[in-house]
Order: sequence, then C-alpha cells, then structure tokens
Amino acid sequence: MPFAFVDTLTENFDEFLRGFGTTVELVVVSFVIAMGVGTLIAAFRVAPSPWLQRIGGLYVECFRNIPLLVLIFISYPGLRRAGIDISAFVAGVASLGLYTAAYVAEALRSGVFSVNKGQIEASLSLGFTYPQTMRRIILPQAFRTVISPLGSLIIAMIKNSAILGGSILALDDLLKTGRVVASRTFDVIPAFVWAAVGYLILTGLATVAIRMLESKYAVRR
Amino acid sequence: MKTTRWLAVLALVLGLVLAGCGDDEESGGGGEATSTPAADVEKFDAGTPLGDIQEKGEIAIGVKYDVPPFGFNNPSSGKVEGFDVDLGQAVADKLGVKPKFIEAISDNRIPFLEDGTADLILSTMTINEERVGQIEFSDPYYIAKGRILVKKDNSDITGVDTLGGKNVCTALGSTYEATLKKQAPDAKLKLVDSYSECLESLQNGSVDAISTDDVILTGMIIQDDSLHLVGDELTQEPYGAGIKKGNTELKEFVDGVFSEYKEDGRYGKTYEKWVGQYTDTEAEPPDISVDEAVELVKQNAG
Repeated sequence: MPFAFVDTLTENFDEFLRGFGTTVELVVVSFVIAMGVGTLIAAFRVAPSPWLQRIGGLYVECFRNIPLLVLIFISYPGLRRAGIDISAFVAGVASLGLYTAAYVAEALRSGVFSVNKGQIEASLSLGFTYPQTMRRIILPQAFRTVISPLGSLIIAMIKNSAILGGSILALDDLLKTGRVVASRTFDVIPAFVWAAVGYLILTGLATVAIRMLESKYAVRR
Repeated sequence: MKTTRWLAVLALVLGLVLAGCGDDEESGGGGEATSTPAADVEKFDAGTPLGDIQEKGEIAIGVKYDVPPFGFNNPSSGKVEGFDVDLGQAVADKLGVKPKFIEAISDNRIPFLEDGTADLILSTMTINEERVGQIEFSDPYYIAKGRILVKKDNSDITGVDTLGGKNVCTALGSTYEATLKKQAPDAKLKLVDSYSECLESLQNGSVDAISTDDVILTGMIIQDDSLHLVGDELTQEPYGAGIKKGNTELKEFVDGVFSEYKEDGRYGKTYEKWVGQYTDTEAEPPDISVDEAVELVKQNAG
C-alpha cells in the first residue's frame, strides 16, 4: 500500500511538477499585487483627505464582500464578453491579488492605528511632512505589528489559489493536477495526498519566511 | 359559509385543471392512435411481465431530465420531452398502457431496474461490457458520436487533426479527456466541471472548440445557433434501452417496437425533430446487435 502511494507520485511526477509550478506562479504574482495594492489602499484609508479615505473604504468593502469565485466570473467570462481579451492567468491573479489586497489593506490599517497618535503629532511638529512621517516613523512600527496577521493572509491566499484551477479559468494548477491524475488512474486518495503535500511545502515555506521576519523586527522585551 | 365558497372555487379550479388534462390526453393520445390503432394492441397473459404491465395500466420509464434533446424537462410545457421520451411513448402505445416518466440519472438507473422502480430505462445509456452483465439491453436505438463543436466563423478547425495548439474544452473525468489526449495530443485541453462552463468558454472565445457526445453538443447548438459541428466522429457510443436482467420477454417486445419504429418512418421524423434540424444530418437508425455494440465501444478504448 505505501508503495502504491509513492508510485502515484513517481509515475505522474512531471504532471505534478508542472501543476506545482503553476501554483507557485499564481501565488507569487498574486502576492505582489496583493501587497502593492493593499499598501496603497491602506495609505488611502489613513490619509488625511476624507475623499481618499472613502475611496479606500469603497475598495475594501467591494473586494472583501464579493466571493472570490464571483470575482473570477466577473473578471474572466465577464470581461471577455465585454470585448477585453484577458487571459485566464491574468484574470486569475488579478482576482486573487485584488481580493487579498482588501484584507492586506485592513491589516495594515489596524497596524497604523496601533501606533500612538502622539507620535504623528510629534513628528509633524518637528517639521516632517505627512508622507515623511508615514514612511519614516509610523509604517516601520506598523509593519512590525502586522507581520503575523499578514502571514495568515498569505497562507490563506496560497490555499485560495486552488479555487482558480477548479473554476472556469481551467488553469492546470496543483489541485487540478491532483484531480486529473485521480480521474485517470482512480488512485483518488494518493493523488489528493500528493497535491496536499505540494500545498504544505508552499505554506511551510511561507511560515518559515514569516518567522524570520518576525524575529528580525522583534523588539526585545 | 366561507368553507362552502372555498369548496365551490376549489371544485371549479379542479374541474378546469382536469378538463385541461383531459384535452392533453386526447390530443396526445389521439395523435398516436392513428399510427397504432387500439385493435393492434396484443393482450398478454396475466402473470407474465408484459401482462403485469397491462394489468397496472402504466409502464414506468426512467429518462434523463437534463439532457436536451434526449430527455429534458421543458419549462414551457412542464413536461419531459425528447428523443428518448418519444421512443418510450411508442413502447407504451404498443402495449396499450400509459407511460409514467420518472427521472433516472446515471447513478441510479441500473438500481431502478433492479428494485422495480422503473420497467424500462431510456436515458442515453451506452451499451458496454460491464452493464451487459448487470441488465438486459434492447438492440441499439441510437449511436451517439464524439464530435467537435466550434463557432461557425472558425475556419481553422475542420476535424480532430486540426486541433493541435488549440484550446479544447471537455469535462474533467469524462472519457473524452483520454480520447483527446490520444487523438489530438497537441491540443491544449481545458478541463472544467460542467459542459455549461465549456459552452460559456466557447462563446466568450477563451476556448476554440468543445469535444464530447453529439447529443450534448446538439443541446448547445439549440441554445446558440452560431455554433456547428465539424469533422469526423472521434468515438461511437451506441445507446440501448435498459431492462431488468432476465426479463427477455420485455426485451424482445421492445426490440420489436424499435425495429417497427425504425422501418415505418417514425424514427426519421423523431430524429429530424430533435437532432436533424439542428445538425443538418440524416437519421441513421443503427442496425447492429447488442454484441456488436459492445465491440464498437471496445474500439473507442483501443
């Protein structure tokens, strides 16, 4: 029995490797989008202008309150029908990236609010501009408190990437590879166990990276 | 007071409904009666399988409810209609009983025969070796073919040998996944969970073609007439009516009805009504035995 388990991997190794590669690509590109857009929206949310705050709030409420699968339907069949020649990969990473960005923005905002307001006042009165205050004083401290919640979001994003392959996008990611192998060989349990191992490798690496960041920025208490 | 008024209204409504039903039966049954007059009905002895069905006055026929144009619930008439339903009606007429159509999905149709829920199954069921061991099959009444569906304005794809490098959609886990990998190894397969996702993908241009049974593809053409079938068939799937194991009396009766149906021109009309008018193809009533059908299916896998 254990040998049959290993056979399922070795006999379909190229396929599993390709699926793993696709999932890595999806996760990396979505991560870049989520962090970039998330930081921008968080800055809007804490900006002194009420209009920027409203735009940020609208973004968060839209992307956090629409299910990821619905975003996929809007961004792929929806946009294609509207005449935009978007590819399945772009639609997938845009959906996952923008969806996760809403959560990243909220995590960052809570980090900014965790820094005492007195520090902003002190910084402004010392002659720093508002952007300088943010970049030099507030964000470095905010970052430290949000490393852990951001880590949870990244792990959730890695797992959410499995929705992309199973959807109408028909991307051949890791979970999809597991399903294809299962339907072809009828070795259902080994196929899904190996897919799970692939996800555990990714989430494990993410966990290690987060731990390292945490200890690097830790304050000795 | 109130109760009696309600009862009067209820009686009126019921009367109308019953009158409506009566009309339906007359028009439906009347139309069929011309082709099979009541005098034709052979009386079978009580205690035999066919006699029992005549005793009950109805034959339970399991059909698909979600496979246009073979068996589907027509929302405008509220009734199940299709190619399989017409064949079931023909069997019931020949027995002189009413057909009772029930929904039989792929997973429950063989159990339905075994426990007597259905006397006959007409649900796009391919005759294959495993099933022949479990139930009796009528002679094949239709041979579904694996085909390729594309947009009419796509002139690049003319058959399975032109699928190389193209995005082709089919259902994950279907037999077409393996068929396409063998017959069109350079095609880029897009595997999704349901054929409705394939149709959406073809319409919005994210795939170039869909490949599966012509039965399912014809259902898509009925939805969207900017699509058409191209190329030769990839596989052949002979459909047979399912009957409980050992009930050879009903099997032979159904074979007789089907061969009459094929010969007297009703088959051609039914085919044109459900399939031909959408695919521009002529009816080809299969003329093979159950054993030959099993061999045909083996070649698909070969």
